[in-house]
Amino acid sequence: MSSLKILAVDDSPTMRRIIVNTLKRAGYEDVTEASDGKDAIAKMKVEPFNFVITDWNMPEMDGLTFVSQIRSLDEFKDMPILMVTTRSVKDDIIEAMKAGVNNYIVKPFTPETLSEKINQVLKSVGRS
Amino acid sequence: MDKSIRVDDSAKNIHAELRHLADSISQIIKGIRVAQEPIADSRNKVPQATKQLEKVTQQTAMATHRVLDMVEAITSREGEIETQIKELRRVLPSTYFRNNSRVKRIVERICVNVSSNQNDAYAIMDALQFQDITSQQVDHAISLLEQVENRLKDVLVGLQLDVGPENDVKRKERAYDPNAHFSNNSNEQSEVDELLNNLTKEKQNN
Repeated sequence: MSSLKILAVDDSPTMRRIIVNTLKRAGYEDVTEASDGKDAIAKMKVEPFNFVITDWNMPEMDGLTFVSQIRSLDEFKDMPILMVTTRSVKDDIIEAMKAGVNNYIVKPFTPETLSEKINQVLKSVGRS
Repeated sequence: MDKSIRVDDSAKNIHAELRHLADSISQIIKGIRVAQEPIADSRNKVPQATKQLEKVTQQTAMATHRVLDMVEAITSREGEIETQIKELRRVLPSTYFRNNSRVKRIVERICVNVSSNQNDAYAIMDALQFQDITSQQVDHAISLLEQVENRLKDVLVGLQLDVGPENDVKRKERAYDPNAHFSNNSNEQSEVDELLNNLTKEKQNN
């Protein structure tokens, strides 16, 4: 079992449920859900997380704004962030990377891809 | 020709032209009035279509959650079976599981089936990602319908016709990817990974 404390941000309750189940299957038991960027920031301010998985298209605050905002805050500037989205257009991926995501998954994803990407991100930030 | 007669003829001609113009305008107005009803009718149907599409999304989401409930129940029961088999191995005399004993073969078969059931259940769960993708496609369709509704309203306003009751219902904020699609093609993620690698290399070189 991993000690990673993950925040899963997605406006779709179906996707959140699938992501949480997939993470638990991979050994990540400590997962909290948020329905958009605003909700996620509120949760991050009261609870410590060490990994964020976020969707892009969300009401209230989309994933890109959310990533940009947390990257501008000192306490979250090094937070490992994995984006999981339907957006697969090259320009979108470049934009997401510029905003500060560490890695990128296209929906629908496989459990293997999710585990592999989490490991890659942790390795890239020296936390594997 | 007498000057006054010429003026009189001209006035008659102008009068005839104006009458003709008035008749034409009257015909145009009649035509517009005839067109008003179908335009207004089409505009009024858009919210109905939108509601229907929203129902599709809601019902698909409900059905998806019902399937997820069942998948979770199945995987939980299969997990219990795995635990019970471990317990069985612990409590039964080890002679039962020696070499190629019948008990050993049966237990191994049960373990294989449990594992297959769990994998199939998880595959169902993974496939349910379609619900998020189709709901984004439906939201895109709704958004296009709302644009049509607004254009029809603009036409009615432009023609100074009755636009009917103003739709003051606050529209739901829709967040969707207009290009969302469900694909089982693993090449898509590979292409993304290749791009990410190139971007990382570029960043390192700079």
